[in-house]
Amino acid sequence: MASPIPLRGRLRRYGTSYAMLLPFLALFAGFLLWPLANSLYLSFTKFDGINPATFTGVENFVQLASDGRFRHALGNTALYVVGSVVLGTLLSLGLALAFNGTGWLHRIMRTVFFLPSVTSSIALMLMWKWVLYPSDVGLANTIVDWFGGNAVAWLATPGLTIPILVLMSVWGGMGYGMVLYVAGLGSIPQEYYEAAKIDGASTWRQFRHITLPLLRPVTTYVVVTGLIGAFQVFEAVYIVFSQGANTIGGVLDSGLMIVPYLYDQGFTHFRLGYASAIAWVLFLIIFVISLINLRVGRAMKEL
Amino acid sequence: MAVAPMDTIAPVQQSPHRTETGGGRRSRINGHLLRLPFYLLALTMIAPFYWLLITVFKPPRELARTPPSFVPESPTFANFYDPEWSPHAINPGHLQGIFQRYQVDFGFWRFMFNSLVITTSITVGSLLICSLAAYVIAKHDIKGRRTIFLLIIASMMVPWQTTLIPNYVIMRNLGWLDSYTAYIVPALAKAFVLFFLVQFLQSIPNELIQAARVDGAGEWRIWWKIVLPLLRPALAAMSIFIVLAEWNNFLWPLIIVQSDEMANIPVALARLNSYFGGPDHQGAIMAGGLLASVPTIVFFLIFQKYFTKGIALSGLKG
Repeated sequence: MASPIPLRGRLRRYGTSYAMLLPFLALFAGFLLWPLANSLYLSFTKFDGINPATFTGVENFVQLASDGRFRHALGNTALYVVGSVVLGTLLSLGLALAFNGTGWLHRIMRTVFFLPSVTSSIALMLMWKWVLYPSDVGLANTIVDWFGGNAVAWLATPGLTIPILVLMSVWGGMGYGMVLYVAGLGSIPQEYYEAAKIDGASTWRQFRHITLPLLRPVTTYVVVTGLIGAFQVFEAVYIVFSQGANTIGGVLDSGLMIVPYLYDQGFTHFRLGYASAIAWVLFLIIFVISLINLRVGRAMKEL
Repeated sequence: MAVAPMDTIAPVQQSPHRTETGGGRRSRINGHLLRLPFYLLALTMIAPFYWLLITVFKPPRELARTPPSFVPESPTFANFYDPEWSPHAINPGHLQGIFQRYQVDFGFWRFMFNSLVITTSITVGSLLICSLAAYVIAKHDIKGRRTIFLLIIASMMVPWQTTLIPNYVIMRNLGWLDSYTAYIVPALAKAFVLFFLVQFLQSIPNELIQAARVDGAGEWRIWWKIVLPLLRPALAAMSIFIVLAEWNNFLWPLIIVQSDEMANIPVALARLNSYFGGPDHQGAIMAGGLLASVPTIVFFLIFQKYFTKGIALSGLKG
């Protein structure tokens, strides 16, 4: 990789090299490695942010295991993650297959679906909150009204919270996945399809045996980044559903998820040790996903 | 929200199946029928945006009316600035525009300015710092290079929320809370940027750098004069990720900001949202949302050709 360096210049250059690395490494150590170690330590303590942290062993984790709100948050997160990743990935692929051409119509459609990805996310959240306004002045209830229904309290009906969050996520994210899939489709050699056609393969068989396998790296990427992003959801819950400091998860905690609960414990109740334990649960979940991703990736390369 | 590399407008290679079904009129109609659900889906994409846009130009009275109008009947800019509103006398039907809503100097402009300063500093700063480190890791034969790189790659598996609490404590202990420093400094060392730049540099041959060394150029000069220009497409692609992520950053600012003055746009709008829930206030809130979106959309339109390259380079192939 690196070129052979003449010996006499080596020593001088070593100093320069480390000097050039220093800004990054210092910031990396100071605001990532050190805090990471710190949060691990804090997760074994009781800490209110003011008095010194007191070591309590695994107590936080024991408490988490029997914490009803935390279990509820985990359950909600699981539902949300599965819903948004499955729906999001399927629709991304569908959109890419439908609109991967170079014509004006396809370009416009791609732009339309990608628009949320470049729009300010706070604007999107506030927009949703207004669309889902509980009375007939809101867009959603106006449409319900056209069909003769009564106004729905979208944001105050616990059974609707997770479905709405999933729809918001899919709505905002499928254009992003679509673009990745379109790029993937563009890199599949045309000859494969021509050969398949000569062999008389149907469109479905071409899709099943050429398109899908060759898109697998894209699918892995879309699914893994989708999973990781979905586990970290915060803003949608906080802006659209939370109603004041003590109801961060929306009505009856129906939208409570891991990061909102972390925020609630850490910055509303100032239980920083407990919140650190939640942070480490999140870390472990995402770490496992990343490892599975590495495993799957390696296994596929060996195939 | 994470943001993807993309190429909405840049042409894609001639598409595979489906569009290849032949040129006949019948099959074209079939193609549109197959896509019908997606056209309907596109409608659900546009409808909320349209709703946002018309809300911005409706006066408060029209906003509180049922059923709502779908074309503003008396279009107005009052949701940005309403000259007829006064803090001293109640003037029915008139509310503060977004630029009259905040009790800070320069009102909403202040938050636009904050967001701009923070986003620009982080983008420029992190690209400089990461490109320096990437140059060393990709092209210098120093001890510990592999270990450092592995450590940085491993760190990409850590969700940043894990370090949220200790970083908050660090900011507090350093007295940095409620300052630009707290926004900018912890955000500079971005592992994924470094990783991306290293990958990009590894694909670039060493000849240019070698030639410059032979000519007696120092390493800093080589970085500035040769490496940075070579990295341009990669830096452009990365800047799109960073700009969009930092512009939208919410949880970290929410924690470190205490005063009214230091909020970025998302925090400022979130505060507005928590104080004013009524439909007549939505015009000003949506106006704020629109103002928040314009810079990122413009930035994206300017840099969009680099998204295609971003995809090609982002390791999706492997």
